[in-house]
Amino acid sequence: MKLSELKVGDRALVTAVQAEPAVRRRLMDMGLVRGTELEVLRFAPLGDPIEVSCNGLLLTMRRNEAEGITVNKIELCNVPQGVGPGLRKRHRFGRRA
Amino acid sequence: MSTKKKITVALAGNPNAGKSSLFNALTGAHQRVGNFPGVTIEKHEGYLDYRDYRINVVDLPGTYSLTPYSPEEIVTRRFIIDEQPDVVVNVVEGTNLERNMMLTVQLMEMEVDLLVALNMMDEVEEKGFKIDIDQLELLLGSHIVPTSARQRKGLDDLLDHIIRVVDGRIEIKKNKISFSLEVEKAIDKIADLLCHEPELDEAANHRWMAIKLLENDREIYSQVQKYPVWVKIELALQEAITECEFLHGTDPEALITEDRHAFVRGAMQECVRKPKAARATVSDYIDSVVLNRALGLPVFFLVVWAIFQLTFTLGAPLMEALDYSFGLLSDTVAPHLPAGIIRSIFVEGVISGVGSVVVFLPNIVLLFMGLSFLEASGYMARAAFVIDKVMHRFGLHGKSFIPMITGFGCSIPAIMATRTLKSRSDRLATIMTIPFMSCGAKLPVYVLLAGAFFPPTMAANVMFAIYFLGIIMGLWTAWLLKSTVLKSDSEPFVMELPPYRWPTFSSVIFQSKMKAVMYLKKAGTLILGAVILIWVASNYPRSAELDAQLARESAKIEASAVASEIKAEQLQKLEAKIEAGQLEYSFAGRSGKLLEPLIRPLGFDWRIGISLVTGLAAKEVVVSTLGTIFSIGHAAGETSLSEILRSEPGFSRATALSLMVFVLLYIPCVAAVGVMKKEIGAWKPVLLYSAYVLAVAWVASFITYHLALLFT
Repeated sequence: MKLSELKVGDRALVTAVQAEPAVRRRLMDMGLVRGTELEVLRFAPLGDPIEVSCNGLLLTMRRNEAEGITVNKIELCNVPQGVGPGLRKRHRFGRRA
Repeated sequence: MSTKKKITVALAGNPNAGKSSLFNALTGAHQRVGNFPGVTIEKHEGYLDYRDYRINVVDLPGTYSLTPYSPEEIVTRRFIIDEQPDVVVNVVEGTNLERNMMLTVQLMEMEVDLLVALNMMDEVEEKGFKIDIDQLELLLGSHIVPTSARQRKGLDDLLDHIIRVVDGRIEIKKNKISFSLEVEKAIDKIADLLCHEPELDEAANHRWMAIKLLENDREIYSQVQKYPVWVKIELALQEAITECEFLHGTDPEALITEDRHAFVRGAMQECVRKPKAARATVSDYIDSVVLNRALGLPVFFLVVWAIFQLTFTLGAPLMEALDYSFGLLSDTVAPHLPAGIIRSIFVEGVISGVGSVVVFLPNIVLLFMGLSFLEASGYMARAAFVIDKVMHRFGLHGKSFIPMITGFGCSIPAIMATRTLKSRSDRLATIMTIPFMSCGAKLPVYVLLAGAFFPPTMAANVMFAIYFLGIIMGLWTAWLLKSTVLKSDSEPFVMELPPYRWPTFSSVIFQSKMKAVMYLKKAGTLILGAVILIWVASNYPRSAELDAQLARESAKIEASAVASEIKAEQLQKLEAKIEAGQLEYSFAGRSGKLLEPLIRPLGFDWRIGISLVTGLAAKEVVVSTLGTIFSIGHAAGETSLSEILRSEPGFSRATALSLMVFVLLYIPCVAAVGVMKKEIGAWKPVLLYSAYVLAVAWVASFITYHLALLFT
């Protein structure tokens, strides 16, 4: 799936990075290469740039750049009971209106 | 001095790694700012004398990588290749080693004499990181010197290392990282082909070039393409691509980057023990508020508002103090000068003219202190994140916001700051918005006019409204440009949010000091020249007829049989009348008159016309011109300029508002226009733009004037 389809709090592994050469290079230099784990932290207040953490860095990119990054979502199988709704709440917050 | 041996050291490193702090700590006062040849990136150079050496330090622009995509990266690379500094010091941030190592690895590949300055050791210790420096040295093959630029620790150690490298007492091992088998094979093959090309420089690093070719590096491509060997290389590249695609499912470029990351990750695992801290750090907590869906924008506006408050509220008393001291200066100087032209030039021209400029120094310094505080603290990048969508809607980039904000200080550094934008159309659009951001030089005009015609509580609001109008017009212009002539792909928004950091007092002060010096230089040269010119233009040619009239009528008054006090009063009135007549007769008066029909609908008379013309030199000159022209009719030092303006019948609130709007919007100062031309590279767009802003200014002032007339 695409990075742009993830929701706030989702974790995923990068599988491919596609973009025009300069952007791709930049994303890769920032650490978005195959196998990197990332977590979607938040969307900007107006819903557009997206913030992810990867390798302990906070990276931001626009949705259309996030669309070029293919990821495998890491499913949370062992979410403790109390955490689920909280996470869902964060999802709602992060989604574009 | 000349006996000292010279060493050139280049500082390379990621943005925010503390490179500039280290540079400042090393070179102190011996700094120069220039431009890298051919590109518009600032070049910071400095030197220091250490032991028997004069060490020249060049602060290269901060980069994450050495790819040929951004001007910073190209400059850094070219400098290292072409200038061949004796030592490259890679400044890395101790608390963010993994991120910083990417550049280190690429520098290693270049096989330069590399020293690693492990900076921010104070933070590393504070946060409980454990870094096995010996092991890391072994892996990187170059010496690592722990430093803390902030606390000025490890500097001598670093300098000693530099000297030892130059003397050959430290051997740089030039380790190379090995890539995947297929890549290595391709590298060997291509490097071999390159070796066989006698035209290519013997000294050139063929392995590095081969890596770059595999990485699709267009610079190296164009370098090699000229040679016949290219045919064979192209074939080898094709082969490598096919093989990598087949075996790894990706191209060599990605593979190489992956391998670098893998190397870095491995090295980090071996050498760094991070503290098992709770995940939620202070930084996360701040971000959860500052970047919050609901609070993000209010916080952003609050920050901008706070900066303005700081600038204007704190600046006001300082301004008054400066104003007072300039008044004092002219009072003390005046009696010591012979009456006549010299005294007039000095007191009315130079001191009051330059004084009117210098008075605003506190505001400019405070604004830049605020901005550099934001930059150093890490909020600036967040601001770009928060505001990008809005900016994007107008065709700009979140990063455009920073130059635009800088534009509130001075257009010139702001226009230069657009260099961080890589897309030309984004950059042009941003440059075009900057003159609409009220620069520090326009501030004096607002302070004078708003202060003279509005009560203190209102004045701040009026100024805020003017600033706001500028932002609106700027964004509108950007949108207009981006949806017409500059229609093209926008630059991507890929940025790192740096960790929050408490800015050091000295770095904030240093930054502001540089800006203050720039401003004063402008005041000292351009504006001083303009002031004298204006003085001459408004005093010559003199009308012989008026002189004769003055002599005639003053003789009449002298002869009349009234009390001497009344005589003096009458004389003074007469002189004022004649002086006003002389001004009207002068060059300045005539050109103002020429303009009058054009600006009459905006509520301006010919005297304001003069100040608008002279304001092209620099916007603060509008104030000094108004001062020169309007105070001519009055006895020197009798009343303040704002009182004089208030007493002018032709000068109403509506005029003041209209003038503020006009000054906000019309052509920026000559210096800014010059810089615009330099950054854009052609006169035509700059001239078209000037015509556009003039039209916008005229219309906006017209509307303002007539609306204001309705309401006052």
